[in-house]
Amino acid sequence: MLHLLKIDLKKMTSYRTFWIVCGLYFVTLGFGAASGMEFLKLLASWIEGFGESINISRIPLYHFPDVWLNLIWSSGLLKIVLGIMVVISITNEYTYRTIRQNIIDGLSRWEFLLSKILTNVLLSLMSVIMIFVIGLVTGMIYSPTIELQYLITDLEFFPAYFLEIFFFLSYALMLGVLINRSGLTIIVLMLSQMIELIITANIDDDLKAIIPYFPMKSIWYLIQFPFPRYWFQEIQDFVSWIGVATVLFWTITFNYISFWKLKQADI
Amino acid sequence: METVLSIHGLTKNFGRLCAVNQLNLEVKRGQVFGMLGPNGSGKTTTLGMLMEVVNPTSGNFTWFGQQPSSATRKKIGAVLEHPIFYPYLSGRKNLELNAMIKNCPAENIPGVLDLVELTSRKDDPYKTYSLGMKQRLAIASALLNDPIVLILDEPTNGLDPMGIAEIREIIKKIAANDKTIILASHLLDEVQKVCSHFAILRKGNLVHVGPVDDVGKGEETVEVMAYHDDLSVLLSEFIGSAEVKRENGQFLVKMKSGFHSQDVNKFLFSKGITASHLHTQKKSLEKQFLEILAEADGKNIEVRS
Repeated sequence: MLHLLKIDLKKMTSYRTFWIVCGLYFVTLGFGAASGMEFLKLLASWIEGFGESINISRIPLYHFPDVWLNLIWSSGLLKIVLGIMVVISITNEYTYRTIRQNIIDGLSRWEFLLSKILTNVLLSLMSVIMIFVIGLVTGMIYSPTIELQYLITDLEFFPAYFLEIFFFLSYALMLGVLINRSGLTIIVLMLSQMIELIITANIDDDLKAIIPYFPMKSIWYLIQFPFPRYWFQEIQDFVSWIGVATVLFWTITFNYISFWKLKQADI
Repeated sequence: METVLSIHGLTKNFGRLCAVNQLNLEVKRGQVFGMLGPNGSGKTTTLGMLMEVVNPTSGNFTWFGQQPSSATRKKIGAVLEHPIFYPYLSGRKNLELNAMIKNCPAENIPGVLDLVELTSRKDDPYKTYSLGMKQRLAIASALLNDPIVLILDEPTNGLDPMGIAEIREIIKKIAANDKTIILASHLLDEVQKVCSHFAILRKGNLVHVGPVDDVGKGEETVEVMAYHDDLSVLLSEFIGSAEVKRENGQFLVKMKSGFHSQDVNKFLFSKGITASHLHTQKKSLEKQFLEILAEADGKNIEVRS
């Protein structure tokens, strides 16, 4: 397993685009996640310009335990960057035909796919660790009091966040295996959210109950938009088992489709 | 002799096109096996199936008496069609990656780089290599895990005469090390120079298989020149001659089987004539190849009519 991961990392770590895209992702993730408070201050100064005033210290964006869900939900928006990286990684293998040579040299098709899946796991784990560290540091800075019981509340969103990223990277990998062309794959990847929206918008009213089970929707329902709690609305502040099961189902399905396609294709 | 590769009824259809049709073939240990055929005759498709990148429509094959798997592929070094590497990696890094895939020690790398004379360019990115260097790196990569079998598909394609000679020298060096080599080519001269056995494919069908040494056996053709007015008539009277033709001022005597040039010489001498030129034509693989293909075409025409 570790050997396969090393093989895929060896391909990527000398590839400049990989460093640029990954760097972009982790830097944006870091700065974006850490600068929420500054953004609020900016917002407040703007509003003051219109003669209103808001007390930003009353919005506990970075207080434990709010900080976890706020950061996790927001950084989920950036996963598209990582998805594009995965698309480039897999479609390169088709463009250079190195997938063919890898098999000829003695990888099985499953081993080849597994090396890509393991990289996806690693990238997802790194995102989780990054957000956990940023959350911990900013939480320590901004929380008025640090109590363990608040610190450990909502931590179950981290496995859910891992699942969200891994789900999306599995989807990107599958599109790459099915389409093979990087440009087209990236376009489909970026449009899939919209395509699904169009489909779900046209669903009959009595079938609306199935909407949470659509792939892209399933991650929206897994980790729900947290900010309405600051204008006194109920939010789902727990991870539902049915949500986990749905996302897990799609993740396994995507990877299985990649495997099936790779197995029966002439490469 | 130990059988390395055994193919039974291997078939591949691309839609309605039959690229390889019911191929049966055996390759023994130590053979340098040439696969000949015009472009599009199914050579690369066959090798693709043997390396499991192309799924056969039907039929099967075994390597070393075992069902093919990623483990058997690790004992084979193969370059199909053209060299394939990661363009942004250097030659050495590409080989390091291949060593990881093949599960062999990275210590083998300097040796193979030396063999193909790429040591001085090993740290340059692959995309800066010339075609000849790419071909040589591919051979280095194929040799990395000290394979039992080496598969080369058109290894001299697109090379200049110098490059061709270099690759040929490398192949000869490898063959001297008791390796089994399968060499696909449409360059007959190349096959005749390095191969011990050969097979001919035509439109996916196997039309001939046998040792290269057998080429040129069978009926001989003897060139004869002598100062005599009725040489043509005289030669047709010779009991060993099947056909006499005049070409470029000399006579070509096609012999019946069992007769050789010395019999012509003896016959002429007995008639009191001394030949000024007597030469047995060597049948080249090229000639044999074209004959076999023509024969196969003839059979096809018969079937059709």
